Amino acid sequence: MFSYIVKRILAAIATVLLVMTITFFLMNAIPGSPFLTEKSTPQQIELANEKYGLNEPYIIQLKNYVVNYFKGDLGVSLKMQEGADVGTIIFGQNKFLISIKLGLLSLLTSIILGIPLGCYAAYHRGSWIDGLLRVITTVGVAVPTFVLAAVLLIVFAVKLGWLPTLSGSLDNPLAYIMPVISLAFYDICYIAKLTRTSMLDAINQDYIRTAKAKGVKNKWIVLKHALRNSLIPVVTFLGPLTAGIITGSFVVETTFSIPGLGKYFVESVLNRDYPIIMATTVLLASLVIFMNLVVDIVYKFIDPRITYTSKEA
Amino acid sequence: MKEVFKDLSPFHVNPDRVWTELNLEAADFEPATTVEKESMVEVRKSVSYWRDAARRFKKNTVSMVALVVFILIVIFAFIGPMAIPYDYEGQIRQAKGLGPNQYSKVEETIKSVEGQFDGFYATSLQRGSFTALNKGDYVINFKGKTYAFTFTEKIKNSIIAVKADEKEPLFIVEETAIRNGEVLMKTPISFTDTAKSEAKELALSKSVFPHVFGTDSVGRDLMARTMYGARVSIIIGMAAALIVLIIGSIYGAISGLCGGAVDFVMMRLVELIYSVPEVLIVLLLQVVLKEPLQAWFESSDSAFVAVLSDLGAGIVSIFITFALLYWVTMSRIVRGQVLQLKEQEYVTAARALGASNVRIIRRHLLPNCVGPLVITTCLQIPSAIFLESFLSFLGLGVSAPMASLGSLCSDALATITLFPYRLLFPGIILTIIVLSLNLVGDGLRDALDPRLKK
Repeated sequence: MFSYIVKRILAAIATVLLVMTITFFLMNAIPGSPFLTEKSTPQQIELANEKYGLNEPYIIQLKNYVVNYFKGDLGVSLKMQEGADVGTIIFGQNKFLISIKLGLLSLLTSIILGIPLGCYAAYHRGSWIDGLLRVITTVGVAVPTFVLAAVLLIVFAVKLGWLPTLSGSLDNPLAYIMPVISLAFYDICYIAKLTRTSMLDAINQDYIRTAKAKGVKNKWIVLKHALRNSLIPVVTFLGPLTAGIITGSFVVETTFSIPGLGKYFVESVLNRDYPIIMATTVLLASLVIFMNLVVDIVYKFIDPRITYTSKEA
Repeated sequence: MKEVFKDLSPFHVNPDRVWTELNLEAADFEPATTVEKESMVEVRKSVSYWRDAARRFKKNTVSMVALVVFILIVIFAFIGPMAIPYDYEGQIRQAKGLGPNQYSKVEETIKSVEGQFDGFYATSLQRGSFTALNKGDYVINFKGKTYAFTFTEKIKNSIIAVKADEKEPLFIVEETAIRNGEVLMKTPISFTDTAKSEAKELALSKSVFPHVFGTDSVGRDLMARTMYGARVSIIIGMAAALIVLIIGSIYGAISGLCGGAVDFVMMRLVELIYSVPEVLIVLLLQVVLKEPLQAWFESSDSAFVAVLSDLGAGIVSIFITFALLYWVTMSRIVRGQVLQLKEQEYVTAARALGASNVRIIRRHLLPNCVGPLVITTCLQIPSAIFLESFLSFLGLGVSAPMASLGSLCSDALATITLFPYRLLFPGIILTIIVLSLNLVGDGLRDALDPRLKK
């Protein structure tokens, strides 16, 4: 068990380093210097290269970059907020906080709504509610986030005027409703589908029949036996879920003009502010990799039958 | 045949009666004719894999409906543009910012005065109303021909006149010129061909096609753009799925077939790519690849590069992304299949007969894992469309002259409070495409690989 966890942690660190290397070399693959504009003179370029250490060999640059990153020095913005420290931009200006809040809310919403809906559908299999849920979840996984976000925006903010948008005031809790629903809807549907399928799988197992034979009430069979075993696929989905919410936040924050990290990242991509792109990519990728690591370890605890050594061999 | 056989029902056989009472001899029997023989043969024609799958698929109502819907969308996207008189980039000056099912200003005016001109039609340039003109007949000499037409009070301060069956003359008659009894003409004014041909249609008192989805802020027909965008999205989705199919199946087949150290190394690479959050890298690639790709397009002049250049750096980098990151699932599936299949006897037999690895892959392994390949490819299409629309929505992906459903939605976002339908139409089409492809993929999975049935 212990060696497994250590192995997983090492693999996660290796992946983060890989992402950093990919990011670094992709950024360096761009012809010309990122500091090169129409106005810049050779002297200015030379100065900039010197200042940012771009004259060193790539391998030294990469080493400096990785070391600085772990020291918390994420580089300096080149275009968006010229000269400002990227770390300060991301963490200091509430951007990260807003996005994390939004992301966590969506994560919780999708789990809190998705699992019970899936259970309910499986428990009442064949009923009209099950049918309705199946239609909704099937359509739900086909609706692009930005379409859903736009529809919500049109209906509830513009036409009906019921809900405020987050861009106005960040303190109003009502303002979180639309972005969170847009972010979580796909995942609610996916988790509900997943739970229903694995629940139906579990219901056909022998131990359920045994429990029934013992005279355990249906409700308790579902809660104590079926649910626990059907949650395993849901737990594995948490990794992709995190990644999905991060990418979804790009779209949702752009649509609702929320001043979070997602919107900022998209802007920096469109403006080609390379240090910001690099730092944000590595940060978000680390988040996803960390989540995958947690899932792998939790998974092992939930289901000790899973032996990774044989799977990996 | 003897009559006695008639009551020899198998349930009433009394062996004693048969052998003692019937008293049969060899001469009592006669050989059956070929026809009689054939009528006894009860062998069904062997059903091929595909026929069997098609039968199962046809039984699946949801998937069949989804398939029909998808075909309708394909018709909408690929044949639709031929049926409507607008194209995706033609800007109709008189039709900026129209709502759904509206006519452009040219057409509206034409509609309102339709039938009042004998062989002519006229339209206003919308410079305020003009009431000073009296009703009456006017005669215009133009290029040696005489045209007669009538003004009404509906006509505003200048008109455009064209004879119905002629192509060229399209001219403005100035108000002052008419009043003086002369004709001052400005030719030609820059109407699009669409507007001209529409005007002609109207002059021949045919009905004109409205802007079903409205127009955008520069006067481009949104339905034409949506059709075009759907076409781009579908083509990108299919091409990306094809790339994934080719790379993934070759990689997976090699890995599974070689086994041992090769397999180990190849699968570690797959795992690494698997663990990288791909969408972030995709965004990065979109940014990074743009300049080198454009430089490459300009420097090279081969036909292949010309095609890529037409597609634009955005789309090409989407393809590159798929080629780099998205084949891993496919390769895992193929590897699993190959590992299972290569232990089969017929592979051993082929190897014993001296078949090369390439031949074994081509003749024996690929055809046998075609089911999962088709399923995964089919489900890859909607996810590629999803990714493309996501990138285009963020302002990456498809670039300016081209449009995809995602970029249409992105364009519409700025004016969403005023013109929500500009986002809704492409958004709904996108949803229907993804939904129908998902359902078709599910149906294919059930039909091609019944073991996987949920």
